[in-house]
Amino acid sequence: MTPVTANAPKPSKTKKAPEPAVALPGGYAGKLLRVDLTTRKCWAEPWGSRMRELLGGAGLGAMLLYRETAKRGGKGNVAWDDPDNRLVLATGPLAGLPVWGTGGLTVCTIGAGTNGPTSTQANGFFGTNLKYSGWDAIVVQGQARDWVYLYINDDTVELRDAKFLVGKDTWETQDALCRVTGLAGHQLSVYSIGPAGEHLVRFAAIQGDYGHVASKNGTGAVMGKKRLKAVAIVRGTKALRAVDPRGVLQAADDIAHDLRTDPSARSLYEYGTLPGVGNLSKLGVLPIRNYTTNLTANVPGADMADWEAPRLRANFDHRGHQCNACGMHHCHMSVIQKGAHKGRIVDEPEYEGWSGCGWQIGAVDRDGIAWLATECDRACVDVNEFGWITGWVMECMEKGYITRAQLGFDLTWGDIPGAGRLLRMISRREGFGAVLAEGVKRAAEQLGSPAKDCAVYIVKGATPRGHDHRGRWDEMLDTCTSSTATMETGNPVHPTEVGQPARINIFDGVQVAKNVAGLAGRRSFEDSLGICIFTTRTRLENVCRALGAATGWTFTVDEAIRFGRRTAAINRATALRCGHAGALEYPSVRYGSTPVDGPAKGQAVRDQWETMLDTWYAEVGYDRKTGKPWPKTLKALGLDWLARDLWGKKA
Amino acid sequence: MRVLAIHPEKCTGCLRCELACSYVQTGEFQPAKSVIRVSPFEGHTSYAPYTCTQCAEGWCMTACPVGAITINAAGAKDVLDDRCVGCKLCTIACPYGTMFYDPGTRKAFKCNLCGGAPACAEACPTAAITYEETWTGDWLGDFAHERTARILEIR
Amino acid sequence: MAQRHLIIGGGTAGINAIRTIREEERERSEIALVAAERPYSRMVLPYYLDRSIAESHVYTATPRVLADWGVTSRIGRRATALDTQAGVCTLDDGTTLEYDDCLIATGSSAVRAPVPGADGRAVHSFWTLEEARAVLAGIRPRSHVVLVGAGFIAFTILNSILSLGARLTIVEVAPRILPRMIDDTGAGLVARWLADHGVTVRTGVTLTRIEDAKGGKRLVFASGAPLACDLVIMATGITTNLEWLQGSGVGVNRGVVVDEHLRSSVPSVYAAGDVAEGRDRISGEAAVHAIEPTAQEHGRVAGANMAGKDVRYRGSVLINIVEVCHLDVASFGAWDDPKAEAASGLMADRPAYRKLLWRGDRLTGAIILGPSSDIWTTNDVGMLKGLVQSGVALGRFKAHLMAQPFDVKPAFIASRTTSRLLDETILGRPAKAPGDTPVAV
Ligand SMILES: Cc1cc2nc3c(=O)[nH]c(=O)nc-3n(C[C@H](O)[C@H](O)[C@H](O)COP(=O)(O)OP(=O)(O)OC[C@H]3O[C@@H](n4cnc5c(N)ncnc54)[C@H](O)[C@@H]3O)c2cc1C
Ligand code: SF4
Ligand code: SF4
Ligand code: SF4
Repeated sequence: MTPVTANAPKPSKTKKAPEPAVALPGGYAGKLLRVDLTTRKCWAEPWGSRMRELLGGAGLGAMLLYRETAKRGGKGNVAWDDPDNRLVLATGPLAGLPVWGTGGLTVCTIGAGTNGPTSTQANGFFGTNLKYSGWDAIVVQGQARDWVYLYINDDTVELRDAKFLVGKDTWETQDALCRVTGLAGHQLSVYSIGPAGEHLVRFAAIQGDYGHVASKNGTGAVMGKKRLKAVAIVRGTKALRAVDPRGVLQAADDIAHDLRTDPSARSLYEYGTLPGVGNLSKLGVLPIRNYTTNLTANVPGADMADWEAPRLRANFDHRGHQCNACGMHHCHMSVIQKGAHKGRIVDEPEYEGWSGCGWQIGAVDRDGIAWLATECDRACVDVNEFGWITGWVMECMEKGYITRAQLGFDLTWGDIPGAGRLLRMISRREGFGAVLAEGVKRAAEQLGSPAKDCAVYIVKGATPRGHDHRGRWDEMLDTCTSSTATMETGNPVHPTEVGQPARINIFDGVQVAKNVAGLAGRRSFEDSLGICIFTTRTRLENVCRALGAATGWTFTVDEAIRFGRRTAAINRATALRCGHAGALEYPSVRYGSTPVDGPAKGQAVRDQWETMLDTWYAEVGYDRKTGKPWPKTLKALGLDWLARDLWGKKA
Repeated sequence: MRVLAIHPEKCTGCLRCELACSYVQTGEFQPAKSVIRVSPFEGHTSYAPYTCTQCAEGWCMTACPVGAITINAAGAKDVLDDRCVGCKLCTIACPYGTMFYDPGTRKAFKCNLCGGAPACAEACPTAAITYEETWTGDWLGDFAHERTARILEIR
Repeated sequence: MAQRHLIIGGGTAGINAIRTIREEERERSEIALVAAERPYSRMVLPYYLDRSIAESHVYTATPRVLADWGVTSRIGRRATALDTQAGVCTLDDGTTLEYDDCLIATGSSAVRAPVPGADGRAVHSFWTLEEARAVLAGIRPRSHVVLVGAGFIAFTILNSILSLGARLTIVEVAPRILPRMIDDTGAGLVARWLADHGVTVRTGVTLTRIEDAKGGKRLVFASGAPLACDLVIMATGITTNLEWLQGSGVGVNRGVVVDEHLRSSVPSVYAAGDVAEGRDRISGEAAVHAIEPTAQEHGRVAGANMAGKDVRYRGSVLINIVEVCHLDVASFGAWDDPKAEAASGLMADRPAYRKLLWRGDRLTGAIILGPSSDIWTTNDVGMLKGLVQSGVALGRFKAHLMAQPFDVKPAFIASRTTSRLLDETILGRPAKAPGDTPVAV
């Protein structure tokens, strides 16, 4: 296979006046890497003057999708499996700098789950290595004829034969690429797909650097469809300049101080998301046995003392495995100490692993769950949707909606080896696995009621994160109204900083909707910086200061929020083009049901859903009927051009 | 003499030390020029930083044909840029692999303990690197020995 | 204890010996230096040639420094005979010097291929400062320079010639380049790299004569087309400067044979550097290592012993590095040991190459090639040297390194090589910084 270099000339499509040369702000590498798999060309594209407008990550991705995934000549949007779909792997201006958790990768694409836009984040060292190689983002288009992987080492950019990687899981893929390049550790960052991506499983994820996952909306299937097995980036040799390096370090110290000391971040700092199980079970937000109960006692063998973070961690021989420059005690590698998988190296599951591969499927064997969650990462299956699918199959088998003949074996609550078997079937589309590989929503619809009514999903085709949102309405509303197939606004972080109340009545639909709308923007902003969602759990002002010191811009909290809302509006426009009308913004029957026991017992979200939608739409300034942001909303955000695009002359 | 004491069991492989080092040494963030290097052990589960021990022989210093390596106020072997001709002899003389060369400047470079305020120790979020009055030692040997055993067994 | 030391030769070995005597002696002694040239470092001549340093930069001990050290020097004089019975050295001007002990550190000289025209106009060696001056004066931008010989020394000046803007052709009688520094595979990589950087290499050609040709030179070969050029540099080998020792009674083989104290067959006579045949640390056999680090270590050990210390030398490790257009090429120890077990790894695209040679579970030799900008390669360069130098038993890491020659770091660190090395010093004490040598004891 002939290597191509990144210096191939940019094919001139439109004749525009050349952009005026602008001084490169600090923090940026300065170039986007364009990769066309069909023509096997790679070329460098200057960012030009768009950096402040798009920042990077989610902001850049949203704009690229909006600009480049419209159907040629016609109405509508290209589908996820169209060669014209873009796979944007973007970092941001903070990636690679010594602010905690700045290895950031944001994946933006038309995803296979909803067939609509996605913005989903992972970390590790992708962003670091990419930027030190001299690139801010990779924009992949086209479809390769044979499996390839993208190799980046400074200015050397090559599409290489990936036949020898096909069939390998994501960890094996990274091992193999380390071997062929002779590199070890963070010298090589690899993001790849495993069998699930190769087999176009609709909830296949992109996994990288042993345990970091861009999990939402089937990004792995998009990569699989493009026959791009992996992206391997050597830690480049270039320099990143910050306009005020001391300022970056100071902002980093302030952020670190907040994370270490602020009550809202402290447990995350000490134990990552491990305390989630214990804490959320007390709120009725831990999903147990596919939303059939909210009582931990209903799971045989459950001892909540085992689930306190220190004990959970002590169960393993655990080692820190932090992302770039990060001081959180969050990402860890563990060695299983006992049982069937003794001696195995696993990624310490996140809360979502403990729930998706544990409580949601009725399992509490911590060693087994850790193994299964890692197997999901290795197969490149989104651990959340795997939980929804598996719990659903378990319940349906119990109730006789799915038979042993259909599945090929008996799968009962808590059966981890059985779930592992199901995972293999799904990721290779074997037998009934082919049905399940279509994702919860499509599988449920194929089976129809009554099985369908047991499935947890959003009508749009997405699935929630690993919670029981019947006790956390804000995230249910956020997930359903989102244009990115996962939460778009995110959980409140220092809400008073942006004028939101510190506390609301979480079962008052109007308050919830107002709160979700009021917090909009922050998340999309953070997701554009190449930084981890957890290390931004500080005052937004600190993050803005880090950004300012890096780039030299004065970026206020106000501008940050406006930026985020602009990004959300652009994603909304793309989602509408993908046919995501308001009718899809509903929880499935089970997802929106009323808990029968536990702390949130009797709280009926469905009763308030229409009011919540009405309120949310009014508050964000979108039109409830058409789903479009109102012209005045867009104009206030400085998106006059989008107002014209969406409303024509009416704007 | 104060030395960089390394506590490998605390290291998480975040590479912040490399960023800080390159910043202080070059004025830019450029880990490729960091003189402290974090190595992985046991298939990405363990990491530890590694840098010049300021060894007693100072193989780099004695090898230099033009006397371009000297001992600075912090007791560290330090390259005098205006003396160094870029012959690289020091890079093959140092038996620890902690003497480097920059083709851009055509100068050798190494850990000089930042003149007495090491940036890596300051930057490490887990205190895996401390700057202490103690004997220099083989900080990583035992740790690495244990953390590589499994890999060798599997093989 | 010897009161009058005589150092013959002012190169690396000689100057290091003088410094060490001053560092180690308890009572002030007399030191005399005889050197045919002013003390300078040969190995920095390539940087003088590419004009990145001034001529003054090559000197290792100026008259002022020698005076500070209390050295009586006879610069520009050659030793022509040594009467070891009487303790008298005769110089080329007929004068004599008496000594209690002396150090032979006369180094080596370049030899030219014995062909007609080898000593003609515009044909140079590149070994001394004087020759370097002549070459520098003879090269113009766009000159066509032919390097005869593709050995280590030729490669040390290759970058300099290119950076002067000259066009370069290398001719070599052997079938491949760098025959005494790296193996065939490595040489092949370097050859390809050179071709990519516009340097023409002709191997396997026998030079028969060098002629004058309209303003330039013409090289004629036993077969193949002759080669026209402006300037010829002969890098066809070196010879140890021993001839003046005839009749001295000092035992000579390929060099002056020395023991672990760097003492020759005559107890009051030491030898060091290129001229000495000491011990190869890896094989344990006698060897002449005509490299800078050996001259330095020899010189310091000899100096310490002359100052009355008892310092035993464990032998020298052959180490070499050249940079070829930003490609680092290095070899260590017994890299060409035919009896060794060997494993290699190649990444042609970067390019990167490793070859590891073993006796039992000890690494006895290594070859490493990689981009000079790659710090991880440099890391491994040093670690390979450390593994060869320390002779640490690698146990189970041997199999690992045989399979993955690029994964040196964990092996080096986990085999606790650092702790083995930390105790080692050449003189049994921490080295002093260059400026710290006492000037008035
Ligand atoms: C261009 C070039 C590049 C090199 N590059 C490297 C390299 O990269 N790495 C490396 O390891 N080595 C290199 N070398 C080799 C290295 O320079 C020698 O190994 C080293 O100089 C040997 O030191 P020495 O003291 O033994 O001899 P020398 O440095 O040769 O010193 C010998 C001294 O003796 C004097 N002398 C000779 N005969 C007499 C006499 N009869 N009476 C009095 N004085 C006499 C000479 O004038 C000189 O002062 C290079 C050499 C050259 C020429
Ligand atoms: S590279 Fe510089 S510091 Fe190193 S030995 Fe050569 S001259 Fe000395
Ligand atoms: S660079 Fe190497 S030789 Fe020099 S002081 Fe440090 S460890 Fe010793
Ligand atoms: S900063 Fe500390 S924890 Fe991070 S890699 Fe360096 S030594 Fe390890």
